[in-house]
Amino acid sequence: MRAAPEPRGGTAPARHRVRRFLRHNSLGLFFMTTFLLALSGQAVAGHAEFNNQLVADGMAPIGFGAYLTTSDFGVDVTENWQSEYLQFFLYIFATVYLLQRGSPESKGLGRAGTESDEDQMVGEHAADDSPRWAAARDWRTAVYSRSLGLVMGTIFLLSWLAQSVTGVAAYDEQQLRQLQAPVSWAEYLFSADFWRRTLQNWQSELLAVASMAVLAIYLRQRGSPESKPVGASHSATGVEG
Amino acid sequence: MPRPWYGPAVAVLAVLVTVSACGTPSERRDRVTEDVTSFERALDAGQRARLCAALAPSTREELEQAAKSRCEQAIGEQDLPRAGAVRSVDVYGDQARVVLEHDTVFMARFPDGWKVTAAGCRPRPQQPYQCEIEGG
Repeated sequence: MRAAPEPRGGTAPARHRVRRFLRHNSLGLFFMTTFLLALSGQAVAGHAEFNNQLVADGMAPIGFGAYLTTSDFGVDVTENWQSEYLQFFLYIFATVYLLQRGSPESKGLGRAGTESDEDQMVGEHAADDSPRWAAARDWRTAVYSRSLGLVMGTIFLLSWLAQSVTGVAAYDEQQLRQLQAPVSWAEYLFSADFWRRTLQNWQSELLAVASMAVLAIYLRQRGSPESKPVGASHSATGVEG
Repeated sequence: MPRPWYGPAVAVLAVLVTVSACGTPSERRDRVTEDVTSFERALDAGQRARLCAALAPSTREELEQAAKSRCEQAIGEQDLPRAGAVRSVDVYGDQARVVLEHDTVFMARFPDGWKVTAAGCRPRPQQPYQCEIEGG
């Protein structure tokens, strides 16, 4: 039986809405999709590497599903997560107080600090379309005023905790495979393995932020809000394209 | 459009199935304790075939190559101590260490169960255990 054709008025706006949704959320969708693809790729490569190591050590290789539940995969994922959230937490927090002359990543010179209620549109200065907690004039305003940093900082701490828990399990599995004694979680927190994993990620994140803040003084990317307009002077601070 | 409810449910189910397939940590510890006790019983009874069947493939191969004889003969020539009761069991992933009164045994999980990778092991400071039998 042939399905009756859908009325044109019903599908066209729906298709239009989907297309508009995709266009208006393309940044978040692009990064979430590429995140999932990269995580899948990491899992496939990590599984192959883990099995190579197992076979070389005379152990039985494991399946892909089993690998996804190993502490080895867990620590490889969480050690990167924690450093990324630390990077954003520090950037959000440091840019309140620290400035960089000529950088679009910095506020204008002389605006260091948490700024006035008027500038921040809180309390009596809140607009009709401001978030409700911005106008509340009590603890809710204080919390909401710091919510981005609080959430990023909390995710960083939880990811770092997860790194330490999965890290000690992966480390101890390796220790036992090499006929060495396992260590406790507390001992692992002072181990070279924990700090090597942690600091190798921190240094790369901090370098990326420092180079972005400085390179954006002199270099431009036309159309990007992360860059100053192409014709803006090198000394213009806090100007986004 | 209502959000599909089954996505998170399937994810939780997948995790539960995976975890239950591998066993909880306490189940794995019990399994390891059971297998190491069975290994020690076979050692006490001189049941060489059972001892060899309990060894990991690379450990068995290493033993046979070093002794230049079959496992059942080679294992009888090893100076494995009478281990006594189990004192502690550590299990991380597919690896385990069992500390007994007079011995330490290392085990690993294979598709057909937990196998002994090293036995007759003595701790050494800052170095791996020294073992009477171990894999290559």
